[in-house]
Amino acid sequence: MTTSSVPRGLQPPQPMVVARALTKRYGFATALDELDLAIYPGEVFCLLGANGAGKTTTINLFLNFITPTSGTACIDGLDVVTHSLATKHTVAFIPEQVTLYRNLTGLENLEYFASLATGQRFTRDQLLAHLGDAGLAVDAASRRVSTYSKGMRQKVGIAMALAKNAKALLLDEPTSGLDPKASNEFSELLGLMRTRGAAILMATHDLFRAKESGTRVGIMKHGRLVRTLETADIGHADLERLYLEHMRS
Amino acid sequence: MIARIARKEMTEMLRDGRFRWTATMIAILLIGALTTGVTHYRRTAAERDAAKRSARTHWLTQAPKNAHSAAHYGVYAFKPAMSLSLVDEGVDRYVGVFAWLEAHKQNDFKYRPAQDATVIERFAAWTAANVLQVLVPLVIIMATFPAFAGEREQGTLRQLLATGVRPRILFLGKAAGVSLALGILIAPAAAVGVMALVMASSNTTLGDTWLRGSILTLVYLAYFTGFLAVGLTVSALARSARLSLILLLAFWATNAFVAPRAAVDLARRAHPAPSALAFNLNMERELTTTGEGVSGKALEDSVLRAHGVSTLDSLPFNFAGLSLQRGEEQGYRVFDKRYGELAATFAAQDRLSQRLGAFAPLLATRALSMGLAGTDYEQHHHFAEAAEMYRRGLVKTMNDAVRDYQRGGEVIAVSSDSTLWAKVPTFDYDAPALGIVMGRYLWAFAVLILWLVGSLALVATVARHVSASTLAEGVRP
Repeated sequence: MTTSSVPRGLQPPQPMVVARALTKRYGFATALDELDLAIYPGEVFCLLGANGAGKTTTINLFLNFITPTSGTACIDGLDVVTHSLATKHTVAFIPEQVTLYRNLTGLENLEYFASLATGQRFTRDQLLAHLGDAGLAVDAASRRVSTYSKGMRQKVGIAMALAKNAKALLLDEPTSGLDPKASNEFSELLGLMRTRGAAILMATHDLFRAKESGTRVGIMKHGRLVRTLETADIGHADLERLYLEHMRS
Repeated sequence: MIARIARKEMTEMLRDGRFRWTATMIAILLIGALTTGVTHYRRTAAERDAAKRSARTHWLTQAPKNAHSAAHYGVYAFKPAMSLSLVDEGVDRYVGVFAWLEAHKQNDFKYRPAQDATVIERFAAWTAANVLQVLVPLVIIMATFPAFAGEREQGTLRQLLATGVRPRILFLGKAAGVSLALGILIAPAAAVGVMALVMASSNTTLGDTWLRGSILTLVYLAYFTGFLAVGLTVSALARSARLSLILLLAFWATNAFVAPRAAVDLARRAHPAPSALAFNLNMERELTTTGEGVSGKALEDSVLRAHGVSTLDSLPFNFAGLSLQRGEEQGYRVFDKRYGELAATFAAQDRLSQRLGAFAPLLATRALSMGLAGTDYEQHHHFAEAAEMYRRGLVKTMNDAVRDYQRGGEVIAVSSDSTLWAKVPTFDYDAPALGIVMGRYLWAFAVLILWLVGSLALVATVARHVSASTLAEGVRP
């Protein structure tokens, strides 16, 4: 996972996830200040920063759950405000807590979300294959979600993204609260998605995970993206030092 | 897509213990009410037929006696029950279903179970109509309040909206899902209801029952659909499931309990009716005052003058018979005026109540339900009038018999026999036709359609215009 991002020559000309001077203000408070960002297919861009730095705001803007004050957010070349539904068909969203219907099984949850997202029907085998790719055992798939651990829910979330064949992934602190093994499995799944050509934007607190899974990291502070780094160019200790420097300054 | 959402909503609801329990209880209550209704209906119908036959036999086989005494002997008139009355008992419980008809008395109604009921019984008397009007809306609210607000709290709504599903499709899917689940809950009770109605109907009335039953079904469907629409709208806009539940429960309680009470008070204030005691006292006073001059000495003198004779014994007929009939007819004027006023007051109260249905759909639904079941006040009044006309005919036949039996002034001790009794026809009552009943409830129909169209327009507007972001967050107060 320490290889650098995919060579430029193999990339399609279009970046998948793009923000241009993206800004969100609530009254006088600026949650996000002129964010410029372009994430290409096969890239994992990790947003680092303290609580309130604007990471979740960025993701919510890309999902059009909130409307930007100014600037634009585009996915696959489409503005998310004017193409609210179309862009959602391209993107998969995995929040900190993948919330599922407690009274349905993992398989039923996946089937529901995947068929709503794609408008297609899935066979049981297809769904089980996606769940298997995401690392969920077959017997667990037919149990009700109320018995699931957090890691198992995240796996269903990944399976949703796989079934949707999402070109872009928006992840909001997906590994917080996972035990190290589950967290590691999650990173491997990200790698799988990346090799399938997804552009991934992940907000996280976890420097180690960012260095491991990310191709680039961006450090955010008070709504501004203050620093962007290639993870291949920097060691874990240096990343931590840089991060803390920005936080203290 | 809509079907997919509906299926998921239904699966979730049917797997939810709370919904299962509530639904089972409602189904049991509904089936219980229908079973009680059909048992009660069949028993009273049998009793009524038996009583009607035996009353007629008694009348025909009574011993020879003074014909006016026979008018005092009296007969019962029975209001035939429509089979739909087992669904909605209406006012029958309070106004009675048969009249005791005898000389000088109008509107003496018997069998008012409410009169003999204990306080507990009043609450225990849940008819199918009560369940449909009060409890089913509660179940609809229980099913719809978390539709959006609950998912919002759980976090699944964001997940759902992130799939790019149109809010409109979500609304339709959820509405379909809740309807299906409720359909499953109501289906057994509906089957029992249809069976009960078929069992209770004779061949001649079955067609009418089907027609009335179908209209009644549409009325209740419109009533329920409105609740579904309002429930979904509130759930989509309320920020929390708690708020959604509180708002919907407040609306439910207002509709089910506050509005009927308030409508009665408003109607009474707008069109006050005298108390039964005051009404009877007034009537008695008026009967005494108008009775003077047409009976006793004055009548005697005028009749003697008209026939150019000087004593009652010289008259070509029996004076007592004439005098009795004159007395009756004098009373009719007072009865007709006073009862007419009372009926007009009740009708005015009823119309006002129907219109108030615009604020509480229960009022309009209840009026239509009773009307179609033949158990509303208007149809009771119609029966009472028919019974009164019959009574007047009976009394006149008897008084005429006294008049013609023997000349002279004395009331004869013994006179008539079965040939006279048979001159009085049996009392056969025809309830007002469906068209007439419907005509009386145009306001209630209008109000119910307003409720249906209004609530659908509301939910459609919200579903069409709500953005994913508003739906994700709920409306800030």
